[in-house]
Amino acid sequence: MAQRAMWLISHEPGTLLRGTVRFSRRYPTVEKRAKVFNGATYMPIPEDDPFLKALLFELRLLDDDKDFVESRDSCSHINKTSIYGLPVGGEELWPVVAFQKNGMIYACVPLVEQTLSPRPPLISISGISQGFELLFGIQDFLYSGQKNDTELNTKLSQLPDLLLQACPFGTLLDANLQNSLDSINFASVTHPQKQPAWKAGTYKGKPQVSISITEKVKSMQYDKRDVADTWQVDGAVTCKCDLEGIMPNVTISLSLPTNGSPLQDILVHPCVTSLDSAILTSSSIDAMDDSAFSGPYKFPFTPPLESFNLCYYTSQVPVPPILGFYQMKEEEVQLKIAVNLKLHESVKNNFEFCEAHIPFYNRGPITHVEYKVSFGQLEVFREKSLLIWIIGQKFPKSMEIGLSGTVTFGAKGHEKQPFDQICIGGTAYLKLHFRILDYTLTGCYADQHSVQVFASGKPKISTNRKLISSDYYIWNSKAPAPGWVSTTIPCLSDV
Amino acid sequence: MLRWHPTCHNYKDLTKSIQLSTGGIWGEKAKKKKKSPGSGTGWPQVFGGEASVSRSVLGVRAMSPVIRRALPVRTSAARCFPASSRLVLAPPASPRPAGLRDACRPAAGPKAKGPACLTMGPPSREAWAQRLSAFRASPSAFMAGPEGEDLGRDLLSDLRSEKLNEQTKVSLLALSLEYPAQLWPDAPAAEAAASSLLDTLVLLPPRPSALRKPLLLAATTALVAGGALGPTSGASLRLLPLLLGLASGRDLGRGFGPASEQRPLQATACECLRELESCQPGLLGGCLGLLRGLLGQEGAVGPVQPLSLLLALALRNTLVIQARAGAGLQGLLVAGSSGTGGSPWTWTLAEEGAAHLQPQAPSWLAAEEGECGLAALEPNPEEARELRAAVAQLLDTSYLLAPVAQAQLLWLLGWALRGLRGQLPVLFKTQLVRLLGTAQLTLLHAVLALKAAFGEALFTAQDEDLLLRRLTAAAQHPAVPPPAHLFYLHCLLHFPENCPLGPTGEEAAPLLLGPQLCRGLLPSLLHDPMALLARLHLLCLLCAEDEEKEEKGQGQSPQLYLEDLLAGLRQRAALDGAPRALATLCFQASYLVAHCLAGQPTVMTALTHGLVQLYRDRPVLAPHFVDLLDQVGPELGEPLRVALQQEVVARPGKDEALRWHLQMLAKVADGDAQSGTLSFLQAAAAHCKDWGLQQALLQVCRALLRAGVRGGLADLLQALAWQLEDPDGRDHARLYYVLLAHLATPKLQVALGPSLVAPALASSLVAENQGFVAALMVQEAPAPIQLSVGPRRAEGPIPVLQLQVEVLEPVYSLELRFRVEGQLYAPLGAVHVPCLCPARPARPLLLPLQPRRPAPTRLDVRALYTTLTGLTCHAHLPPLPVTFADLFLPFPQPPEGTELGFFEELWDSCLPKGTESRLWCPLGPEGLEALVSRHLEPFVMVAQPPSSYHIAIRLPPDSRLLLRLEAAQADGVPVALRTDDWAVLPLAGDYLRGLSAAA
Repeated sequence: MAQRAMWLISHEPGTLLRGTVRFSRRYPTVEKRAKVFNGATYMPIPEDDPFLKALLFELRLLDDDKDFVESRDSCSHINKTSIYGLPVGGEELWPVVAFQKNGMIYACVPLVEQTLSPRPPLISISGISQGFELLFGIQDFLYSGQKNDTELNTKLSQLPDLLLQACPFGTLLDANLQNSLDSINFASVTHPQKQPAWKAGTYKGKPQVSISITEKVKSMQYDKRDVADTWQVDGAVTCKCDLEGIMPNVTISLSLPTNGSPLQDILVHPCVTSLDSAILTSSSIDAMDDSAFSGPYKFPFTPPLESFNLCYYTSQVPVPPILGFYQMKEEEVQLKIAVNLKLHESVKNNFEFCEAHIPFYNRGPITHVEYKVSFGQLEVFREKSLLIWIIGQKFPKSMEIGLSGTVTFGAKGHEKQPFDQICIGGTAYLKLHFRILDYTLTGCYADQHSVQVFASGKPKISTNRKLISSDYYIWNSKAPAPGWVSTTIPCLSDV
Repeated sequence: MLRWHPTCHNYKDLTKSIQLSTGGIWGEKAKKKKKSPGSGTGWPQVFGGEASVSRSVLGVRAMSPVIRRALPVRTSAARCFPASSRLVLAPPASPRPAGLRDACRPAAGPKAKGPACLTMGPPSREAWAQRLSAFRASPSAFMAGPEGEDLGRDLLSDLRSEKLNEQTKVSLLALSLEYPAQLWPDAPAAEAAASSLLDTLVLLPPRPSALRKPLLLAATTALVAGGALGPTSGASLRLLPLLLGLASGRDLGRGFGPASEQRPLQATACECLRELESCQPGLLGGCLGLLRGLLGQEGAVGPVQPLSLLLALALRNTLVIQARAGAGLQGLLVAGSSGTGGSPWTWTLAEEGAAHLQPQAPSWLAAEEGECGLAALEPNPEEARELRAAVAQLLDTSYLLAPVAQAQLLWLLGWALRGLRGQLPVLFKTQLVRLLGTAQLTLLHAVLALKAAFGEALFTAQDEDLLLRRLTAAAQHPAVPPPAHLFYLHCLLHFPENCPLGPTGEEAAPLLLGPQLCRGLLPSLLHDPMALLARLHLLCLLCAEDEEKEEKGQGQSPQLYLEDLLAGLRQRAALDGAPRALATLCFQASYLVAHCLAGQPTVMTALTHGLVQLYRDRPVLAPHFVDLLDQVGPELGEPLRVALQQEVVARPGKDEALRWHLQMLAKVADGDAQSGTLSFLQAAAAHCKDWGLQQALLQVCRALLRAGVRGGLADLLQALAWQLEDPDGRDHARLYYVLLAHLATPKLQVALGPSLVAPALASSLVAENQGFVAALMVQEAPAPIQLSVGPRRAEGPIPVLQLQVEVLEPVYSLELRFRVEGQLYAPLGAVHVPCLCPARPARPLLLPLQPRRPAPTRLDVRALYTTLTGLTCHAHLPPLPVTFADLFLPFPQPPEGTELGFFEELWDSCLPKGTESRLWCPLGPEGLEALVSRHLEPFVMVAQPPSSYHIAIRLPPDSRLLLRLEAAQADGVPVALRTDDWAVLPLAGDYLRGLSAAA
């Protein structure tokens, strides 16, 4: 399992080449093996320029899709994974692992230890998951805490040294590049005990443990009799353990109140040493009932130096925090809209912020708005064809607020107004953005007293939690809802 | 002379010997410049080199700058070897004359970096930065340029320059790590480069340096990439003990930096060894015991991860090689100090291993083919115990490894032990619960690899179910990045089941992946295209399974969900101004459904209707429809074609989308519903104002011509030939009309079919011309015909060649044309054959010859024929020889009893016009009788076997050749010959002399 080469490419629409290779690295010893393993099907790694062109074409980033191009648009040219075959110089380079994130394209070519024709299934190529992990690692490194281009450039310039550490010969040794950076900086001497590779050194200082639980709530609400609303909560528990010693042991327990919603689909950090089978098997696939395991969820682990995500989970809470409807109707030249939002009584009525964004797609700029709000205020962004209803920190005592009005649009320009492939005709949505501190929807919390630390000194333990909205949509109930084209999830006959 | 030996274990001595064993670059240059009698490897030569360095340095200091410029080689050599470090590292026992050492000293001091070095100094940091970026922009262009040749050499020498800072040197090394094949393209160059890098390494001053690690990596890379690694390579034999020494954590002396650097270097050395082992499997087979010892050490220990990975790889490779060789483990695993009994690395194993660095059987399917794995090894109980201990040792400390490294370890061990039952697979069990809990892609992938390797031996049905559930959860978990979701979906469809039902290698939903599990994996319009297609595929597979069950009637079937989804996709694609990607996605989804559910008529019907509706809404998608029709099978393709044809011809034929309708019609039009099509075209013709539209219209006519439509089309073409505005359009219409009127349908189909010579181009005009060229003109082609001369006939009034014909493919209307060079023969007529097939042997063809002179010749042969596809082809065949003997004809047989008289009469009549000759015709072992019967039988006039024959040969047009073969002896026969034609004599001589050889 190894990588033959890797690239970082910034996607620059509007420029001549539509992109620039910001970083590339080749591994000639792996290439040597590829030549032997692939035999007659071997295709050498191309130089940066031809690779860039082929990749941008394949990813449809050359913005020239005016005409039908068979090699790209043919119906049988189907990609179901982020792994591509790139036509370069009349031959095909495969497999190329590539994805785009934040305007940067990450790509690598894993070694396949056999002939490439017929193509072996991806699952049998160990270098594929390694390639992904390498690219995810680089992405995390580049964008963790990065705020501007200067920082990005600094981090890019550190990459050659970091990869010398983390991937010297094309075989990835650690996807956590921050850890590699730390280990360059730690001039460690001898260690009396076996040191984990994922921990570059040891912490010296005041012991402390901080645990933070962040829950995101998603929702799709339709206000329709025949379409079921959906909502889902997913949480992440982030820890930073500043503890002395090479292998301090910590156990963190997550608890739920009596009416809390069980945690499901729990994925843990690899530093967790053991896992209760109830945690492993609690799954959102199963029907919910009272017998579901509801904690406490114990996670024994040996922490790495840096801040890390101890676990992720999902949950099915009985009600969405805010239930609402959005009605939009086209009446001659104007749109008539009505919005109603209701905060559930069980939810903490103390927001850091709460806003409803009401965008209008595939139309011209807003020319005129008449409206009435029962609470908060409305901001109009004419050119963006967007209304923002600023609700503020609290819902009123009734817990229910409303907005109604009419919106008129100008002629549709071609460039400026937002296009959307889903919001066609009456299909429209409003999206809620909110954040509540010191609150989780599941009720999940980390009790300070239940945190066990087996290390010298009594650590200071701090916890915090928050709920934030993410993809919280309320669809226009006066038009067909997208995505959920059908009433409910089909009941497939039992196989 | 102190020379390092492979079994040398005093590493302090080793270090010294390494640095002094060769002169590196300078040594090479010294060798080339002057071959002193004592210059082998080792001391005398090195001293020669160093002495001259010292002298030149001293010399340069005294010279004027002008002269200094003229001495680039020497100064660069002086630059390469900072004399100070050499002096520090030189062994005290050096046999170097004291006086010379003293002479060096002043030059070695800081003063040596005087103006000389500045003038001739190495390229500055900036210069290197420019050079490196120019190289990286396009390595091939740079290497082809003027600077390319020197790059590798300059890089090596400047690594020792004191002018460059470490950062620049690291960037130089980084380049050598990536492009060794460009810098040092062949094995000798790579070997020299690795030597030079090792020299640079040992010459580093003992303070902390960022160069040690990249130097080790670079030397390893150069050796491997250059193909120089091997038992006869000096650099390999220096690098390996150095790496092993570092990896073992032994003290290599001050030369290898301060103590703080030892641990990182130990890890680096392990990585280098691992790379060497990867490229030369089996190399470290002899180090297994040592590595196990290092990993198991208590107290101050080495880094766990590099050692674990190295041990796992070496173990895997050794097991594979030994199993293939049918050998046991031979105590390789038992810890023991390495190399007390010899060299720790095993070139012999590695050579066997190198043979195994071949495309391997896919490790994935290996569970069934146990003979490749350890199962063939059949370790004895002692070996099995050691093996178990080694695997347990690796697994026990595996949690100390970074997750990606853990995954590698599991792949390696799973690969090595695959197919094995019993206690060994169970060792992995303890790791599984921990691994299944994580979200790490590599770890779950490694668990799947273990699943494939061990199957039921490691995973019960319940475990399999749990694994599937975790995989299903991971494939949709919000905390997992989308590319990983897609990979997990792929893994689900290729899940290595304990009891697979379907054929291996095909995508299928695993048996345990019930509808309940799939609920969260259904596609929706809100997914991005790749996720949608991946989930749609899963849905299709479920629909296919669902179809096999009885209809339940209750609730919504997956088919309905599928149809709703497709309807949504079509709705989006139909949106005016939607990006092409949306249309592409819609057609990809339709293709996928048609591919998976072709056997379900209800789905196909709904899909057909939906697509026709989409065309109605957005004819601009015509190219996608054409593509879809090209790709799908008849289950969707045929009804869709018919429906689209009806849809198009029902249009008034004058809307904006006419161009697309015509493109569509060119694809779907055929002999059915011709009246509708023709009236649509008639209506459309009036609106085809520009050239493009007219061409599109003519394309449809062309398609109809090919489909065999004749009646109404002739009228339409005639009308178009008058009506179209563009002369090109009119010409084409007229041409089509002429073709229609004059060619039979099959020929027409070929004429208008896609060109067989070149792939069809997008331009109708070019495609058309190529079609005509192919069909209506004669094509030059390599002949599928073989022609040879058969047995001679020797009868009748004129000579006739019997030709044997063989064909490689069916050939029709074959005409063979022959031409004789010069005027020797009268022109030959052509030979016609109606039909020739490869399977049916053809009767011989007769070719009458009309020589004007009795002389041999060569016939130039050309073939003109028609192929199965209707093309007329022309081929040049190899020339056919006509020999002298081919022209022989017998005289009419005289009445019985008068033969001798007749012969004598002929004999006498030759003179005086002709000539007489005598010659010796050698005979083979068979004797005269056999010779005559084989070659001259038809021409014998008087015979007295076995010793006397009178032979009379008529040579057209009017010559004769008479032979008397009498009194034959064992080895030959004297021949008296007469002819009435002088010119025949040499030919007859050659012929007779050649007879015995032919016999």
